Amino acid sequence: MIFRKKVKADSDKPSLWERYLTKEIGIEFKACLYFYALLFFYCIYRICTGNTVADILHMAEMIFLAYIIGYVQVYLLWNFDEADTIGRKEVLGISICTAIYTGVSYWLKWFDRNLYVTIGFAGYIVFLFVCVYLVYKCRRRIDDKIMNSNLELFKTRNKWDE
Amino acid sequence: MKFRVQQISQGEDELILRYRQMNSEVKEILTFMERRERKLAGKIDGETVFFLPEEILYIEKVDEKTFAYTTEQVIQMDVSLSMAELMLDDIRFFRCSKSMILNVNRVERLKSLPSNRIDATLQNGEHIMISRTYASEFRKLLRGE
Repeated sequence: MIFRKKVKADSDKPSLWERYLTKEIGIEFKACLYFYALLFFYCIYRICTGNTVADILHMAEMIFLAYIIGYVQVYLLWNFDEADTIGRKEVLGISICTAIYTGVSYWLKWFDRNLYVTIGFAGYIVFLFVCVYLVYKCRRRIDDKIMNSNLELFKTRNKWDE
Repeated sequence: MKFRVQQISQGEDELILRYRQMNSEVKEILTFMERRERKLAGKIDGETVFFLPEEILYIEKVDEKTFAYTTEQVIQMDVSLSMAELMLDDIRFFRCSKSMILNVNRVERLKSLPSNRIDATLQNGEHIMISRTYASEFRKLLRGE
């Protein structure tokens, strides 16, 4: 018999606070990622219109919105960008978030209420969600390989006595 | 090798093995006893059965009853899930949820799921979900940490 190194105590399991913190860090990460992407599109637009200065108020609005959408994604929309496959729920999630981003960008004049740019921005957001979904999927695939290789090593280390 | 069987009316059942030198015959008996010692008891349709821990795929608590699942049988154990965990006290058995203990050596394949959960496919094709709460500890176990 291979005995456990230690008796598992309840303290080994993450507490409610730790689980909440993990979720919160996830949202923080999402907010940073999407804000960076929004800012990129915004900067390209500004450069294309001959303006090399970014409005700090717009940037604040973007990061604030990215946070709110992050919460909506995680708590209300099944964390769709980390889903295993894209189904109806995920399409609905992408549509709702894209509509919010686009609507707010139009309302707060990020792109001077230019309809063509706003439509382009909506397409960019959809593309962004699909890219993030693919990145997470790719990461999980790599994780699968590592885990299964570790599993085989574990089995070899801990074979049953014949 | 000579052997003697004696019935007693009091005291515990006991087997004493006396030998001059360790040989294959003695080793065989010792191995048999060690394996027998490790056996767990349970019931199938009211009949008591004995089984080895390595035969278990997973142990599950359903309606306050504990069941051990092997590839062919579902055995009701007389002990609670926590007690079964203590009895096994083996690194190969992992508490993968509040109501389940998984035999890691019987896992065929692992799949990483969203929200840091893990799907474990057992040798009989069954899928067991390892929740986020237990997943990080499971990963550590696999890495030998």
